[in-house]
Amino acid sequence: MTFPGGVHPPDYKGLTENSAITPLAHPKQVAVMLSQHIGAICKPLVAKRDTVTAGQVIGDVDAFVSAPVHSPVSGKVKDIVLQSHPVLGREMAIIIDVDEETDRQKMPCPEKFDASFDEKQYSAEQIGEAIDKAGIVGMGGAGFPTRVKVDPSAKPEKRAIIVNACECEPFITCDYRVMLEWTHQFIAGIKLVRQISGCNDVYIGIEDNKPKAIEAVKQALANAKGCEGIEVCAVHTKYPQGGERQLIKSILGEDVPAGGIPPMIGVLVINVCTCAAIAEAVILDEPLTHRVVTVTGEGIKKPGNFYVPVGTSVEELIELCGGLTDDAAKVLLGGPMMGFSIADLSTPITKTGGAVTILTEKSITKAKFQNRETACIRCGRCLDVCPANINPTKIAHAVKFAHMDIAQQYHINACIECGCCSYICPANIEIKGYINTGKILIAREKKRMPK
Amino acid sequence: MFENLTVSPSPHISKAHSTRSIMLDVVIGLAFPLVAAVIFFRLDAVFVIVTCVVACMATEYICNIIRKKPNTLGDLSAVVTGLILAFSLPAKCPLWAAAVGGAVAIAIGKMVFGGLGSNIFNPAMVARTFMAASLGGLMTTWVVPATIDAEMPQIVISADADAVTQATPLGWSKQAIKGEASIEKASSLTMPALWGTVGGCLGETSALAMILGGVYMLLRKTITYVIPTAVLGSAAAFAAVFWLVSPDKYVDPLFHVLSGGMLMCAIFIATDPVTAPLPRKGMWIFGIGVGLVVVLIRNVGGYPEGVMFAVLLMNALSPLIERMTKLVPSGGKKND
Repeated sequence: MTFPGGVHPPDYKGLTENSAITPLAHPKQVAVMLSQHIGAICKPLVAKRDTVTAGQVIGDVDAFVSAPVHSPVSGKVKDIVLQSHPVLGREMAIIIDVDEETDRQKMPCPEKFDASFDEKQYSAEQIGEAIDKAGIVGMGGAGFPTRVKVDPSAKPEKRAIIVNACECEPFITCDYRVMLEWTHQFIAGIKLVRQISGCNDVYIGIEDNKPKAIEAVKQALANAKGCEGIEVCAVHTKYPQGGERQLIKSILGEDVPAGGIPPMIGVLVINVCTCAAIAEAVILDEPLTHRVVTVTGEGIKKPGNFYVPVGTSVEELIELCGGLTDDAAKVLLGGPMMGFSIADLSTPITKTGGAVTILTEKSITKAKFQNRETACIRCGRCLDVCPANINPTKIAHAVKFAHMDIAQQYHINACIECGCCSYICPANIEIKGYINTGKILIAREKKRMPK
Repeated sequence: MFENLTVSPSPHISKAHSTRSIMLDVVIGLAFPLVAAVIFFRLDAVFVIVTCVVACMATEYICNIIRKKPNTLGDLSAVVTGLILAFSLPAKCPLWAAAVGGAVAIAIGKMVFGGLGSNIFNPAMVARTFMAASLGGLMTTWVVPATIDAEMPQIVISADADAVTQATPLGWSKQAIKGEASIEKASSLTMPALWGTVGGCLGETSALAMILGGVYMLLRKTITYVIPTAVLGSAAAFAAVFWLVSPDKYVDPLFHVLSGGMLMCAIFIATDPVTAPLPRKGMWIFGIGVGLVVVLIRNVGGYPEGVMFAVLLMNALSPLIERMTKLVPSGGKKND
């Protein structure tokens, strides 16, 4: 089960794959971003010096595509200020000082879920409302509000659910650990998603380099009640297998229209951590305030998988993991293929950020910025690896010389920004970087010139 | 400890290869015919090859100084050009001519277009054509390989030539087409062409060495199978048509594939990524075109060999082919 294109970067999963999910003590301060999802940005519902309790809604907005944010801790609002955001540059965040007397550390509770769970006791409305209230968004990275995604009234009707358990990014192991340790919670979440979306076929796509996870999930499905129609698919290990378009191609053999999204062909793709969060929200009425984060890379002293409150700063996480090594050179939110390199370590963890990766000078010796970009020899490797089947070098050079019309003729908007082209380029050209720039410039141009 | 963090667009890791490592693989692939050339032509081959490579590298170095650009000798592309040029020259080619060829290849074939990656035509073929046009007879004086025994068919082109020269297999084929020699004369050279015991350019003689070099590059994924398959397949198919129509006039397809510069063209020259189209479909069209034109020139045209013209012609068409074979994104075109 595979898709055309893709690359095989070394996976580095050994650093953390055997490290159990460890709850980290709450930090002294958290910064909860008001924009942790795609869609309308939340408005703060609290003011400076207000007292908040853990689980309290502190930001919300009355829009269809949005999700509320909750305070992960009990304490006092110190300020509402601009904070570094990994994607958006700077955004408003609510800074909360943790009150050590009233705050109690939240623990993961996978033991509360077992094989006997019956999702039929919840109606679609109940599930939808619970997901909405808990502020659940896609936790794999994109952050699309889950309530909108699972909406049963959307057309065309959903015919298949794909659980994206590939985790094709090197280094990251948070989904893998959740599948191993929170297996029943994860499956309960899948059953709830199936219940609300009203379709029966569920495919759990797991890369075949994770045999333990495949085995654990299969075992749990065999034991649990009412799991007919839920199937584990061992997909080929290749980056970007976990791209939703690629995963649909691998499992269902279908293409999502270029520039379109999976709901257009009636497919719902959902992430592992999101399923676990749904189970917690619906069954235990717990909002999404904590998540599993893999802190990894050769540049950190004690890598591992941790259960941390949303809003914890990267700096705090690094310190709790023993600090950076002397040769640490790059701090990434996310993995090395699609993650964002950050300069400001006070950047907080959001609902969507499953990993902090610290690369050393050695592990990026070959990375683009260190080697001078040389001329494109048109070797065609970027075309061979492009999962979107476009001509990356042509587009990158069109953008470089400001020929936006040519970039569009060559379908710049079909690019999924997986970065395979930059990874494979022997001339060290930042192909994906150029394409990104081009997309932004084109979007700006469109805004300026109304039709 | 947080001060030296680097920020850049993703991805943050990359495959450990470079233009240099790719070119190095091509050089290693070219080492097979190089060894064959030295075995068959001894010191003559060494002199011509060294002269071409040094001339190419020196020209590139000087051009970069004139253009005020950083030195690019490290990418080894000048070495590749020099080797391919040398392999397309006869062993007794005067060294001054080889040096001029090397300079033309780099200066006019590559640097005037803006250096590596920007040239329209294969630099070595540009130089080879330049030499064929301006040096005439020098370029068609084919020395007999040193290892050949005296019974091989030999002809002396001019009385005062100091070496024994010999018609190439393709020369015999041309004569057969004109009705001046029997077809058997040419066909009898098929197996010698495989080993290399025939007259011809330095790198052309041994088909086996070419194939070994090609296999190495395929295994190293330096080239894809597309262009070699397209060139050889179309040439063999087109040659087969001639052969089937008139087998006593035209040589068989295997002869076409093994003789002359066909394998060198299919494996090392047409596969030059800079001057070939990027999409796979375009590569097929490009390769098929090269194969057709080579056989057309060999069987119908005025020259015994057509590799250089075929490659240059298809190089010129390459941008058009690329425009014709624009890729369709997976999931179809998006209207925006």
